[in-house]
Amino acid sequence: MFLRKFAISAPIFVIIYILQEAFVSQLRLTGGGFSLFLIFTLIWCALSEPEVGAMVGFGAGILMDLSESSSGPMGQWTLIMILAGFAIAYLGFGDNNFRSSPISLIVLTVIGVFLARLVYFVVGLMLGNEAGSLQHVLASLIGQSLWALVVAPLLVPIITRVHGLVYESGANL
Amino acid sequence: MRYGGDNRGRLLLVILIVTSLFLITLDLRGVQLLAGIRSGTQSAFSPIQKFGAKITAPGRNFFGDVTHLGRTRSQIERLKAENENLKTKLINRKAADAELDQLKSTLDLAGRAGYKVVAARVIAQGSTTSFSQTITIDAGTVEGIRDNQTVICGLGLVGVIKQAYSHSALVQLASDPGFKIGARIAGSQQIGILNGQGTRTALLQLLDNESTVKEGDVILARGSQNNRPFVPGVPIGEVISTDNAAGSVTQSADIKFFANFSNVGIVSVVVGTPSGDPRDALVPQAPRPTPVPTVTVYASPSPSTSVKP
Repeated sequence: MFLRKFAISAPIFVIIYILQEAFVSQLRLTGGGFSLFLIFTLIWCALSEPEVGAMVGFGAGILMDLSESSSGPMGQWTLIMILAGFAIAYLGFGDNNFRSSPISLIVLTVIGVFLARLVYFVVGLMLGNEAGSLQHVLASLIGQSLWALVVAPLLVPIITRVHGLVYESGANL
Repeated sequence: MRYGGDNRGRLLLVILIVTSLFLITLDLRGVQLLAGIRSGTQSAFSPIQKFGAKITAPGRNFFGDVTHLGRTRSQIERLKAENENLKTKLINRKAADAELDQLKSTLDLAGRAGYKVVAARVIAQGSTTSFSQTITIDAGTVEGIRDNQTVICGLGLVGVIKQAYSHSALVQLASDPGFKIGARIAGSQQIGILNGQGTRTALLQLLDNESTVKEGDVILARGSQNNRPFVPGVPIGEVISTDNAAGSVTQSADIKFFANFSNVGIVSVVVGTPSGDPRDALVPQAPRPTPVPTVTVYASPSPSTSVKP
């Protein structure tokens, strides 16, 4: 069941990943810009079950590790996204009021973006990665969280609809 | 209903985490397979990214300009200021180069004659109180300059020190209408008196009406007693026209000064001279024409082939 849901959603993630790498990452926005793929993944996970969230996080993390902009070792984003996907799905699981509230999803996504990047930074330090000055890191964390706050409200309705379509059709298979 | 989890879900989570830790370990240990996967992905994405870069270029520039508006403006201001600074430096450098050229030619002239000179920069030109043609130089009595000393530049005579002050001196230009100097024609002993006319042309009146003067003759300073105000042998100018009218008491000629008084920047004041007269040693050499190679092509008819019927 989990694998089937994962397999159904995989092409969508690949498309979003291509969009991220080919277009969004080309826009040089202030504050470090935003990661469409990370926001998409976190919203998707928030709408899923914890196991699916972990699986989706795993797949998304692998793709993020393969990204040109990833500076850490292979598996660093994978580890963080498994935990983030599971955690965000776990927080929303079973609470339909929570999932049906766009504001909750947006707040959860923004916090998820902030924490995921913060943990990535901390793990990177532990693994000996160069991270730059603390001021730069803080500015980047805050900037990307603010961008997530801007982008997430635009994505939540679309992702909710696509998520519903995919999983309902998947359920009917 | 809150998520209680089951063994299968927990196992899945543990497997995923262990897998990711395994990947990290492999990567940190430098396993080539992972590096190969990453580089392979990059190679596959490269054309898409190039296409994306082309598509997003206008938007990227727009976003970049909007988001970096303040920074861009300050950068433009900084570059403008830097540009102005560089322009000023370039102008100063050009002026310095021109001054250096003038100084070199002046010292070269003085060196050929064996003059002891004091170099000075022109700090003012013209007189605001009269019609006399003068320049002011930045060297004076402290540097050893006295009244009635000859002032030269790289091309020849400039004028004479009219008034020396402690740190500056007033020079009467040779073009000044009140300027007079004893002159002689280079290569001969014909002498005359040269008068400034207020322009770059002066009038030479030869003392001996038997003398002949022709266009292109070089005029040199004859020199004064004790070399003041004029040292001998300084080039003044060349004859551009003559007036050899029959019956005239003296012959006269128009002389064009070698020195261009309007753009003279560096001059030398002759403060000491060798015992002898340099004679014609300072006559400027006529420019040598640069030989232009000519190629002559002779056309030789090629043997034609006749067609026999």
